[in-house]
Amino acid sequence: MITFDDVSLSFGRRELFKNISLKLCGGKIIGVTGANGAGKSTFLKLAGKIIQPDSGSVNFPADKKIAAVTPEMKIYDNLTALENLKFFSELRGKNLSAEKILELGERVGLDLETFGNVRVENFSTGMRQRLKFAILLSVDADIWLLDEPTANLDDAGRDKIFNEIRAAKSGKIILLATNDKLEENICDEIIRLPL
Amino acid sequence: MKLFDYRFKSVVAILRKDFLIGMRRRATFAAMMMFALTAVASLSLSTSGAFVEPKFLAALLWVVIFFAASAGISGTFDDEATAGTLPTLKLYAPAQAILFGKMIYVFLSLVALTIFILPIFLILFDAPIENFLLLVATIFLGLIGVAAAGTLTAALTTSATVKGGLFPILLFPVTLPIFLPAIALTELSFTGAAFEASSLIVMAVFDLILITASSILYDYL
Repeated sequence: MITFDDVSLSFGRRELFKNISLKLCGGKIIGVTGANGAGKSTFLKLAGKIIQPDSGSVNFPADKKIAAVTPEMKIYDNLTALENLKFFSELRGKNLSAEKILELGERVGLDLETFGNVRVENFSTGMRQRLKFAILLSVDADIWLLDEPTANLDDAGRDKIFNEIRAAKSGKIILLATNDKLEENICDEIIRLPL
Repeated sequence: MKLFDYRFKSVVAILRKDFLIGMRRRATFAAMMMFALTAVASLSLSTSGAFVEPKFLAALLWVVIFFAASAGISGTFDDEATAGTLPTLKLYAPAQAILFGKMIYVFLSLVALTIFILPIFLILFDAPIENFLLLVATIFLGLIGVAAAGTLTAALTTSATVKGGLFPILLFPVTLPIFLPAIALTELSFTGAAFEASSLIVMAVFDLILITASSILYDYL
């Protein structure tokens, strides 16, 4: 469970969140929606303790691991898809076997047998997004922070990612920031942020 | 033990990744090597083969190492921030693993720089080495200090808007306590005069202080 305890955050004169207290429970996909600038991405960053609030606190058990797919979190252009995948999983103490790598690629619709040794700088935006998702799947995180996770994907890719998100929700806290109706539809609960 | 093993693996993964990217981009290594080469060649040409006091030679060597290192170390975190990979790295890796992975990478880069520039420096200035072991020990301890202070300073200046100028300004006072004994000991290695082991111990202790302070401070960045 992620607990927001009297959280406030401002950027300049814009008061984004004021004295928010809430509990985000696991086992369901929690959508975070709102107009541009409402603070969806900031809400995710607060939930993952990537940024700190001006006052109040955000808490979750220290042993819970976070993974994210957001536009701001880039992967290494100078490394190949396989090198990126292995690097990030090694950071979480995982050693991926060749079979596991191919399986991850298949789950996100990225042919790692063909594109595994291609540098990410040659990838399309959609392929990068799929690779980011493969990394997320490889690290076995307890909390997923997803910011418009299917924004650059075609319909087939979108379906694969939706299936993975749905299949993973039990035992995880999944926060999904979006303005996309299709992404909203897979959420079990919606938090609407006012502008 | 399991936690230590996991962090050690993360340090190794970051070190390996930085080397792979460093070798593919080559820009950072090239900047360091070219700066050092240009500085040594210019200084050597300006002295025109005249005798240079060992004290000045020692100071020149460390000045070259300091500024060449500055050219390379400042990009340690900057390149990640510019590419947008720093938030991802911070999310997936333990903070201490990032610090030590990058610190070891910087140290090994400085060792490579020194291996490249030292023979050229010694030949061009016709510098005698009377105590080779002392020179190696001094450079080893000096580079550890520069790597520890440089890595923390690079992390500190990543979010600054004028990082280019800020980095050497912040790095210099932190590394001064390393440079002063390093220059004195390097001079002694050139002259072969007797030295006190306590100077080496002072350098080692200061290295330890820098590494510990970096480790404590990095968690707050």
